[in-house]
Amino acid sequence: MKRTLIVETEGLAGHENMRRDYLLLQAAQEGVFFFRLYRWDPGCLSFGRNEPALRRYDRALIESLDLQTVRRPTGGRAVWHHHEVTYSVAGPVSKFGSLADTYILFHEMLARAMTRLGIDARLAEKHGRTPGLESGPCFASPVGGEVVVGDRKLIGSAQIREGNAFLQHGSILLEDGQDVVSGVSKTAAMRAQSTSINAMTETELSFEVVMKAIADEVRNTWPDDWAEEVVPEYGSGMKLDFTDSQWTWRR
Amino acid sequence: MSNIPEDLQYTEEHEYIRRTEDPTVVQIGITDYAQGELGDIVYVELPEVGATFSKMDVFGTIEAVKAVSELFSPVTGEIVEINSALDNEPASINQDPYEAGWMIKMKIENPGDLEQLLDSNNYAQHIGE
Repeated sequence: MKRTLIVETEGLAGHENMRRDYLLLQAAQEGVFFFRLYRWDPGCLSFGRNEPALRRYDRALIESLDLQTVRRPTGGRAVWHHHEVTYSVAGPVSKFGSLADTYILFHEMLARAMTRLGIDARLAEKHGRTPGLESGPCFASPVGGEVVVGDRKLIGSAQIREGNAFLQHGSILLEDGQDVVSGVSKTAAMRAQSTSINAMTETELSFEVVMKAIADEVRNTWPDDWAEEVVPEYGSGMKLDFTDSQWTWRR
Repeated sequence: MSNIPEDLQYTEEHEYIRRTEDPTVVQIGITDYAQGELGDIVYVELPEVGATFSKMDVFGTIEAVKAVSELFSPVTGEIVEINSALDNEPASINQDPYEAGWMIKMKIENPGDLEQLLDSNNYAQHIGE
């Protein structure tokens, strides 16, 4: 299986980050395993694919504050992306197993990467049913298998499976800005139960240091050769247009 | 062990097909095995009544534990009814996939599609049970 590691240290707009991740999902249909690390600039509020954003969030307020928004192709709930390193993995389902297996596999790898940074990260235990899409922002509550420090969530992830491939991506917070999500919520939002890398380390770590720790752990976990490339421009017929406000505010 | 009723037919993509009193209409959902693999289901996106699909087209999506997966049409035909109760109670698919958790009813265009489906024994073999 061909492996490609993509490290993008310059931040991109939310719609471009989602377009690139979705391209990786298409390319993974051909059997390639991608691991991408990236940033967001400017900050961006992302909604889960099926999240009722119109009901939960104040669109007028978001637009008056000039906050960028995008709807992810993956599930889950709203995340404010700014001071974070984001990871995405895409690969053939046949090589990585069930949805739960894939989720745990990559979270365990990311927890080891956090250990490299001196952070005592572990996977959350499952308690009761997974919160529904109406239950506040992504970082309001960890679900079983997510990466936490103590009882606070450090990494929030989501996944999609299409055809023979999966895409999983998630936010690794350098600084905790998740209160932005509750600030634009129409309803009494649960406050974020998040933490961040810089809250856990004595000195502030840069994006580059965190990206390197994760890339090192990726190479340690899958020690075969990794090609280092840019996101391939696979296909022109993208099913989703992440610049389209009809998609972003579809429900 | 998963619940695999003997009176239903199945696909390798883990949908089940139940015949109805109308021989041209079938009821479709996902199997007990599939709901177990997905985990806690929080949302299902179903098509409009009147939409048509070919066999193996994606007719909707299902979200569980922050993961979105596709739902595949096991037959070619037209949607004649959807289970709108799933809007408010998607967990019915976890709790009762073969009754309260059914998803769509389709009017089949080609009865031959049904002959290509798995029976309960073959499906059990497919999932290794």
